[in-house]
Amino acid sequence: MIRKYSVLVSLVVLAVVMLVPFGVVTLNAVKSPADYSSGGPLSLPGELYLDGIVKFWNRVDFGGKLWNSLLISGSVAVLATVLSVLNAYALGIGRVRGRMWILVVFLVANTLPQEALVYPLYYLAKGVGLYDSRLAVIIIFTVIQSAFGTYLLASVLGRFPHEILEAAALDGAGKWRALWRIVVPISRPTLSVLLIFFFIWTWNEFFLPLVFLISNENQTVPVALGVLQGDKMMDATMSSASALLGILPAVVFFLIFQRTLTRGVTVGAVK
Amino acid sequence: MTTRSRDRGYWVFLLPSFVLFTAVIVVPFLMNVGIGFTRWQGVGDPRWAGLDNYTRLFADERFWASFRNNVALIVAMAIVPTIIGLVLAATLFDYVGKKVGPRAASLLRAAYYLPQVLPVAVAGIVWGWIMHPQFGALNELLKLLGMEPRNWLGDPGWALPSVMVIMVWFQIGYPVVIFMSGLQRVDPALYEAAEIDGATWWRRFWHITIPQIRPEIYVVLLTCTIAALKVFGPIFVLTRGGPGGATLVPSYFSYQNFFEKANVGYGAAIATVLTLVIIVVTVFFMRIQDKES
Amino acid sequence: MFKVRTGVALVAALVALAACGGTDQADTPAADGPRTLKLWHYEGADSAMGKAWAEAVKQFEASHPGVTVTFEAKAFEQIRQSAGMILNSDEAPDVMEYNKGNATAGLLSKQGLLTDLTSEATKRGWDKLLSPSVQTTARYDERGVMGAGNWYGVPNYAEYVMVYYNKDAFKKAGVEVPTTFEEFTAALDTFVKAGTTPIAVGGAEYPAQQIFYQLALSKAQRPWVDAFQLYKGKADFKGPEFTYAADTFADWVKKGYIAKDSAALKAEDMGVSFIGGKYPIMISGSWWYGRLAAEIKDFEWGTFLWPGNTMSAGSSGNLWVVPENAKNKDLAYDFIDITMKKDIQNLLGNSGGVPVAADTAAITDPKSKELIENFNKLSTSDGLAFYPDWPAPGYYDVLVAGVQHLINGTKTSGQVLDEIAAPYDENLADIGN
Repeated sequence: MIRKYSVLVSLVVLAVVMLVPFGVVTLNAVKSPADYSSGGPLSLPGELYLDGIVKFWNRVDFGGKLWNSLLISGSVAVLATVLSVLNAYALGIGRVRGRMWILVVFLVANTLPQEALVYPLYYLAKGVGLYDSRLAVIIIFTVIQSAFGTYLLASVLGRFPHEILEAAALDGAGKWRALWRIVVPISRPTLSVLLIFFFIWTWNEFFLPLVFLISNENQTVPVALGVLQGDKMMDATMSSASALLGILPAVVFFLIFQRTLTRGVTVGAVK
Repeated sequence: MTTRSRDRGYWVFLLPSFVLFTAVIVVPFLMNVGIGFTRWQGVGDPRWAGLDNYTRLFADERFWASFRNNVALIVAMAIVPTIIGLVLAATLFDYVGKKVGPRAASLLRAAYYLPQVLPVAVAGIVWGWIMHPQFGALNELLKLLGMEPRNWLGDPGWALPSVMVIMVWFQIGYPVVIFMSGLQRVDPALYEAAEIDGATWWRRFWHITIPQIRPEIYVVLLTCTIAALKVFGPIFVLTRGGPGGATLVPSYFSYQNFFEKANVGYGAAIATVLTLVIIVVTVFFMRIQDKES
Repeated sequence: MFKVRTGVALVAALVALAACGGTDQADTPAADGPRTLKLWHYEGADSAMGKAWAEAVKQFEASHPGVTVTFEAKAFEQIRQSAGMILNSDEAPDVMEYNKGNATAGLLSKQGLLTDLTSEATKRGWDKLLSPSVQTTARYDERGVMGAGNWYGVPNYAEYVMVYYNKDAFKKAGVEVPTTFEEFTAALDTFVKAGTTPIAVGGAEYPAQQIFYQLALSKAQRPWVDAFQLYKGKADFKGPEFTYAADTFADWVKKGYIAKDSAALKAEDMGVSFIGGKYPIMISGSWWYGRLAAEIKDFEWGTFLWPGNTMSAGSSGNLWVVPENAKNKDLAYDFIDITMKKDIQNLLGNSGGVPVAADTAAITDPKSKELIENFNKLSTSDGLAFYPDWPAPGYYDVLVAGVQHLINGTKTSGQVLDEIAAPYDENLADIGN
């Protein structure tokens, strides 16, 4: 009994440590600039000051930014997962020739430093008229993220029980049917994890959206957070307010998706 | 690579990716390699420079220093989080999930994962406050305990270790989530049998958990190593490679040349070298993994 | 698998949505019919520039019926990183704010991305309104070096580095406003003896290197600045000016004028700690002025020029530039012209900015008067020495690293000077290429 609680307590303490920075952001988001200047970032706010949040929301049309981020991250999450499934099916289960080299190519694609791609991608996007469009960002990130998903899924599907597939083939199911009817449902836990990762990674991407989404009406939340960094000035309370607004949607999204993940915690293997 | 031959026709599934990859990755990367052999300011016509950028690069002390710093970050972003993540995931899955309830386990998992959700620009601001030499929470805490306050991000000896600690905080959630979803594939009968045999928790961890989720462990180690090689955002917001280059990493170094010095050719050369390093690491990992399976 | 299919269909619909939208403005420069002026800048809405330019937009729309101004607030980082890419595409605005200096406006002018404004500047009299030292940053030669050649930008405000001080803290320590460099160091000593670190510094960003530059300027004459900034002669990093600056800066850290733990502090930290009354002195630029005026409530404060210097870091503010690909250049010129008008300039001055063509009589606030008078002192005595990070692209980071070494004592001043000389000389070899 004692041991059970000591383990639990240490896990909870660790969780609290992980969450401290979030508390600090929230603290400063509701603090007036004068309060911040006199007391610093770690003092308790004297009053609940919500002007920073309201001002920031209106200044950058945050609603529009949320929609852009949602559109881009959502599309990328789904499209990249679909692409990953198709690739992993061919590599993990189909075991096509040269599988390992194909995987390496995929991985390298996921891992190229984005700085290395930015100038060429700019010229290519300009050439096909997609510079300053959300579609360009969706396509780029779908490819980059699916490269990772392919690698993860391929190594999981590599251990897929073949008896099931052979049984399906005897029943006359084609490759497409086997994929959608058998492989996808069984790997659903991994697929939900991929969806969440892709969504959140894309949500937090800053560098390429900054370069590719020029018009304010196309910009995403992290780029809007960057708007605050003026020439030589940055007001800390307003940036906290913006940070809070930037974190919230992703946190909410994650908590919603958590529920689909938890179902499996005690169910164990799907066999 | 020899497996029993299956019927072909699976390669059709790779077609959509093949087309997209060529357009978004392969062609731009080859262009980047080409730019690496030129002097170019990003706009206008590049001028051919042959191997100039590379001879300059290998003589550049800052370039070598940036790779040395990168090794430290691989420890902080790949090795340490994988070890901690394994223990946490196993404890949550096998102990908290079963003895306290699945709800508690998923709540704790959410708490560990949340830092991954934090936009990196925000994380930088917050950690800057926590480690602030004059009013930072960390120094306040140390003073309370009667210990020496330090200039965490401003002292060349402490800056890199401080960044490493922040990166561990940043990364832990990712292995925990991946390992826990991997553990769901494991047959519970294995654990039950071991428990009936009277195996301790550690023995079960060592002999069942780790072997069963080996693929996930490889995935995490590899992806985190590569993430560490590419690390840019945290360095950019925390230290900008400072103080005096103590936390410079290759990707920030290439960024400086791309966007601050308008040396696009030199930046492209750095990015190319970094990519080659990443390819070598990747092939190395995949070889090991392939042997295992 | 109904779910997967609907998901895919939904995404297809979303992607279709994402592809359209965005560029739905047809900018036809037809003489008749409605037109738009696309304007970008990155100043805060509450800053002096933000207020003055918002008023300029109002006046522009009043005097141009049938033209609407579409203004977009931009991020400094975004413009800094992708200005070249944007101006090279047809997404370029008609008029935008851009950073002054060889590495920014100079580079773009050399690449042919900016419109030559020389004829407009003479036709509309901008060349008469701006003093010669403010004009330096508006003109670039074919190598992209400022100070001569064609007009590629028009500054409508100015900025300079000064000493902000906490009057209450000075009174309490019995310190008078210093008028010579000796009095200045004596004042700093008084504070140290009383147990306070006098100067708020941010070593991770621009503040520390500007103090370093001010120290060099205290030993320098105009030809030295021309050599260092405009490449008119050889900049000697081992000469008396830089040697004095590096030695004295290191000495100031040793003596406790500058905190030993300031290497990783950002400019924001410096400003906030001065506003919070933790330091009696802050050495920084006029861009802080409006914020201090708005946020300091608990003590009296004032400003003075760096004692004993004839020159100080400072220059014109950022420039209005007209991209080569702009679709409505005539409207852009009209807009720039309005920002140079007296009433807009006076508004800028009364909001805490430094105007370049205002009526001194129209500035009513006593503090703003002091700010502008100090600037005029510098400007008329040809005392604007630009900023230390201007001479070479990416030089900012080099100086940050160098001064951090001085603060931490990890390199001697000689080593630091060698370290900052190398990239400068490297760039010199590249000029004109």
